[in-house]
Amino acid sequence: MSETLTRPVVRGRALVYGWSAAGLLLAALPFYLDRFWLQAGLFAMAAALGAIGINLLTGATGQLSMGHAFFLAVGAYGYCAFAGDGSDGLAGLGLPGWLAAVLAVALAGLAGGVFSPIAGRLRGAYLGIATLALIFIGQHVLFNAHDVTGGYNGRAVPPLSLFGLTFDDTELLVAQVPFGAVEKLWYLGLVLLVGGVLFARGVLRGRPGRAMNAIRDHRIAAGVMGIPVARYRAAVFVLSSMYAGLAGVLLALVFQRTVPEYFGMALSLEYLAMIVIGGLGSVAGAVAGGVFVSLLPQLLTRYSDALPLVSAPGTGGIAPGEAARYLYGAAVVAVVLFLPGGLVRLAARTRKTPTSDRPSGEAR
Amino acid sequence: MNHRRQAVRGLAAALAALVALTAAGCSSKAKTGDGKVTGAGGVKTGEGVTDKTIALGALTDMTGVYATLGKSVTQAQQLYVKQVNAAGGICGRQLELTVRDHGYDPQKALAAYTELEPKVVGYTQFIGSPFVAAVKSRVDGQDKGLVLPQAWSASLLGSPYIRVLGATYDVETINAVDFLVTEKGLKKGDKLGHVYFEGDYGENALAGSKHAAGKAGLTVVEQKIKPTDNDMSAQVAALKQAGVKAVVISAGPRQAASLVGVAAATGLRVPVVGNNSAFAPQLLGTQAGPALEKMYWFASPSLPIGADTPTAKKLVADYQAAYPGDGLDNGIVAGWTAASVFGEALKKACADKDLTREGVDKALLTMKAHDAGFGMTHDLGDPEAPSSRESVIIQPDKSVPGGMRTVRQPFVSEAAKSYTP
Repeated sequence: MSETLTRPVVRGRALVYGWSAAGLLLAALPFYLDRFWLQAGLFAMAAALGAIGINLLTGATGQLSMGHAFFLAVGAYGYCAFAGDGSDGLAGLGLPGWLAAVLAVALAGLAGGVFSPIAGRLRGAYLGIATLALIFIGQHVLFNAHDVTGGYNGRAVPPLSLFGLTFDDTELLVAQVPFGAVEKLWYLGLVLLVGGVLFARGVLRGRPGRAMNAIRDHRIAAGVMGIPVARYRAAVFVLSSMYAGLAGVLLALVFQRTVPEYFGMALSLEYLAMIVIGGLGSVAGAVAGGVFVSLLPQLLTRYSDALPLVSAPGTGGIAPGEAARYLYGAAVVAVVLFLPGGLVRLAARTRKTPTSDRPSGEAR
Repeated sequence: MNHRRQAVRGLAAALAALVALTAAGCSSKAKTGDGKVTGAGGVKTGEGVTDKTIALGALTDMTGVYATLGKSVTQAQQLYVKQVNAAGGICGRQLELTVRDHGYDPQKALAAYTELEPKVVGYTQFIGSPFVAAVKSRVDGQDKGLVLPQAWSASLLGSPYIRVLGATYDVETINAVDFLVTEKGLKKGDKLGHVYFEGDYGENALAGSKHAAGKAGLTVVEQKIKPTDNDMSAQVAALKQAGVKAVVISAGPRQAASLVGVAAATGLRVPVVGNNSAFAPQLLGTQAGPALEKMYWFASPSLPIGADTPTAKKLVADYQAAYPGDGLDNGIVAGWTAASVFGEALKKACADKDLTREGVDKALLTMKAHDAGFGMTHDLGDPEAPSSRESVIIQPDKSVPGGMRTVRQPFVSEAAKSYTP
């Protein structure tokens, strides 16, 4: 921890207190918030995990991917297929939930690995178009491979159980507060998100992060410096897919059903919007963007009655769904114009200490 | 690392305080009783019901693929609520309909369901059968609020709380094929074309046409399409080559118009029947209009909006007064029927002095012959079966309001009576 040595102890202490206060707050939320908010928070956590994945790939390594939704689908459906016990007439291996989750993430990584020879050859817009194909193939399979995916209506997601605790709606009283699926999943989501953030920071701040940035900034120069460009790009693709797979598993657990309609091109674009809005190439940016993009439409729908210009559905005028889309567009334009570094720049700007002492892997 | 230890100690203390606080009941989430109270008029009430109001939810799609349907259904239900409230409400309470538009997005649909769940008695509308399937385990397991989906897939049957109103797609298709056999001269050994959407609507309908074809000795020629396919030339060519004598279409209005238009232009002059989702009155204004009037029919679970019944006539007049400039379609009938079924269940529950969710569910199960005023009686006593197996056959006709003329009054074919999904 070189930071705590160079900075005054007071600042370090403030930082620790700040983080513990934030952690405590997040840990306390399930005791107070109702299901709607916890569910929205879980969607945001899943989005943040997925956004970290695509930020490693697109933001840090400069490889445009439009196929992120496909890997989310692999994670979500993979989990169902590994954990399902076949009682609903669909193929399932009946493995314990935690093992199924791990295998689903591995499967998403494998899918990324299978695609990585193509990812290694193509760059920029060409890679974007190639990954776009994944979505169309993926959705075709999801709709038609009935025995595994359940077709149009999707399939039910078996609940996860871990150390004897089952993450389903059976009520568990903790200090008089009934804990259902979302309350339990909230803690799982927090643990996964913290783990995912720390791992990605480790990757970005270390040697691999520098190599990835070098590949993004100048591929040939990176190669000349001795970075195995092809191998790195393949590895990042696999890692990014695994993050997407993890996000898919978490989403599936929250939804309690996988719906093929969801894993379309709009979702991939949403993930790209998240990292652009949040900040390309940084973990904090991915988290901020993920939270922003996934919460915005839900908040607008909920408070549609109170917002000016936005009308209640059925009365004419701008519907909340449309308003959210306009705001998205406006946010992307505003960020590109005024905050080229994304929302994280906003935080960095208000902070007094210069951020230039951070390694380039974290801040672009 | 002294400050770290301090922080950990502080954290532990705060956590302990937190648990103590919630244990003392400071969190509004803490469990206190079962939430059921006896309110005004000695009526037992639960979620969504106060002494003055009964809250209902509508999860609709006004910005996504089913935008036109969602708008009509929602406006009809808002009209119903307005009229009921003007007449004094139900059980001395005013109805409050909260509408949430999910734009056919699973995440928003689930969020809207979760948001409204603690606040409403039930849902008069839920568009999108995948989303209904997604919340099914919650509805059956703990929420137990009544949900009336705006979808007619047989896969939604079987829950005592999620109730499909009217014939499901498979039953409707069986009735449609019966119409072809009895009135359009289709006979044993003939080939029957079936153009259908991938997904549960089309596949459910296909199950119906196969059952009916088996009974009538027909062979089904399948043509599967995607909702994004708008040009039916290839399908018409394939059906023509196969020598079909009639065609069933289980798709959207656009596909039906294209199919009929192309068939008429290329000389495949055979009768075409569709499901209730395969027609919109707007089609009559297109180039395919004349062909549709000549060789297209569709089956519907209720009489059309322009029907000659007192309820239908009053609804048309009221709807046009409330929403001038909006077209008339069968979404209005569907929305109105669902709202009236829910209203009727509430009235019965009120008579039993039990407006809790369980009370409403129980009241619904006693409704064995509900007539919403569109020529159908709905039997809601059996959760395993659709509330009605009747269909009407409708022909597009520019000259009547709504563009739809009933050519065969409500009927159940023999094959549909014996059919079990």
